[in-house]
Amino acid sequence: MKLLTHNLLSSHVRGVGPRGFPLRLQATEVRINPVEFNPDFVARMIPKVEWAALLEAADTLHLIEVPKEPIEGYEHDEEFLRKMHHILLEVEVLEGTLQCPESGRLFPISRGIPNMLLSDEETET
Amino acid sequence: MAAVPRGPRSDPPAGARFFCTAGRGLEPFLTREVRARLAATQVEYISGKVFFTTCSDLNMLKKLKSAERLFLLIKKQLPLNVSSGSKGKIFNEMQRLINDDPESWLKAISIWKNLELDAKKEKLSQKDANPLKRKMGENDVIVAKKLETEQMHEIRENKECQLEKQIEAAALEQGHRITKRQEFLEEDLQKDAVGSRTHSDLTFRVSCRCSGAIAKTFTAQEVGRVFGIALMKQFGWKADLRNPNLEVFIHLSDIYSVVGIPMFRVPLASRAYIKTAGLRSTTAWAMACLAEIKAGAFVLDPMCGLGTILLEAAKEWPDVYYVGADVSDSQLLGACDNLKAAGLKDKIELIKASVTELPLPSESVDTIISDIPFGKKFKLGEDIKSILQEMERVLHIGGTAVLLLSEDHCRRLRDHGGTSIPLNCREGHAGEPGSEECLNPEGKTGISDPVSPSFAASNQDSLDRMPPFGSLVPVECYKVSLGKTDAFMCKYKKLHSPGP
Repeated sequence: MKLLTHNLLSSHVRGVGPRGFPLRLQATEVRINPVEFNPDFVARMIPKVEWAALLEAADTLHLIEVPKEPIEGYEHDEEFLRKMHHILLEVEVLEGTLQCPESGRLFPISRGIPNMLLSDEETET
Repeated sequence: MAAVPRGPRSDPPAGARFFCTAGRGLEPFLTREVRARLAATQVEYISGKVFFTTCSDLNMLKKLKSAERLFLLIKKQLPLNVSSGSKGKIFNEMQRLINDDPESWLKAISIWKNLELDAKKEKLSQKDANPLKRKMGENDVIVAKKLETEQMHEIRENKECQLEKQIEAAALEQGHRITKRQEFLEEDLQKDAVGSRTHSDLTFRVSCRCSGAIAKTFTAQEVGRVFGIALMKQFGWKADLRNPNLEVFIHLSDIYSVVGIPMFRVPLASRAYIKTAGLRSTTAWAMACLAEIKAGAFVLDPMCGLGTILLEAAKEWPDVYYVGADVSDSQLLGACDNLKAAGLKDKIELIKASVTELPLPSESVDTIISDIPFGKKFKLGEDIKSILQEMERVLHIGGTAVLLLSEDHCRRLRDHGGTSIPLNCREGHAGEPGSEECLNPEGKTGISDPVSPSFAASNQDSLDRMPPFGSLVPVECYKVSLGKTDAFMCKYKKLHSPGP
């Protein structure tokens, strides 16, 4: 799971609503996976990023050189885009958990795939 | 002919005429694709086939995504007159497809040879330049083998027939003809120029398909034999059923007679980059195409299965963030394998989640593309409504959902909408195969949908009268064949927030 995906995922435990975001990340295995740099694509992803959530996740993983916020004219700032490229696309969480900030429900990540399935009781109305 | 130069390539001057076979219902997609990708002209389609003219080389032609197979066109004409006359008369008519106009055959062979030669040259230079490509080649072979078996089924279904034995037998029966041909050959050796013009060193086989009235009178074998013998007589080519230089494909039906040369042994529809296909690749590509994916979009397949749609989409539109979800571990593992094999692991993320409980905030997704399962294996039934509700929730306003729905799904959605207007998808491709000729696919022959006049501009006569689902409004709908069953490829737009 990339941090870009973490940045998007939200807990969907019943009744949690918007308070299910962001999920608390715990990682036991992380891999840095080189991905071809595509400045245009990264620039397009920047407006989608929830920065607070990203900073929190990056902090958990002890990533360094994380931009604190999008900078002016980032579309043409290669250094900034390369940093974001690395954080959003190259950091892969292989094993770990995601925790719902509201209900405390844990979702395991295994082999890079977060398991966000809820049990029947959790979805029953 | 005016000697006006027609662009940088001199051969073939005004482009060559091709046709592709396509899954029923995909013809409009292929029509658009050949125009866009190959700058094709004189594009027209009949059920199951799209004809076009282009100057593109084989490399470009190979990129077609919504076609099954590609053929160089030798001849297309009105159907044989089967109703009147004896078998012999009809055989004569068949022979005339060759004898009346041998020039068009020879012209096609020349174009075919040039295209093959260009492709070979390119392959050689590529091999030298890039040793890494070899690995891909190996994959190709595996895929090709897999497809051969797939094709076998198709062939049986279509009463198609590789006429190896028959022609061989026919050739023996008519031994004197062979002697004649040998004389031909000897002559050719002396007259080299003539030989190269009639391509008399060619070996060939005929594959023949008959449908409609002609199929009731003749077997494909009979027809193939007639053509085989006529070709040997006319051009002095040798029949070789195992490993011929040239394959001649003939399709005789009630609406046309088409003769062509298949350009690739492996159908275009079998992708070298897909290890295990779920949905047919051409259908998956057409769905992605219909979704009009923009660069930088977030695209979700909430029931991704083996990831075929995402693979097809990511190959064609790479600058996009793709996520696939599925509830099944085995499907996700299969998808993971597929992504790795295709080298698209970086582009597509997988999560384990249910389509009715997506772990995504509301209004966070730009595009949803999904093949909604149906059939014996899946009992989604009523769930189709909860699926659409959840899709509606996660889609951005203005977002698009392209769904492959069964007739049963459509009926349930229609009931949900509480309207009694019958489902009115374009039935042209739904009825008898080849029952309708539609040579004007982009024409405004359609009934524009009175419900959403703003979308009438999309001139889709196939737009179905399905009711909107909450804020999801159907804007286009195509009936497509999935082999045994038909399905509806429906495109929805999310117009506004659902009411409180």
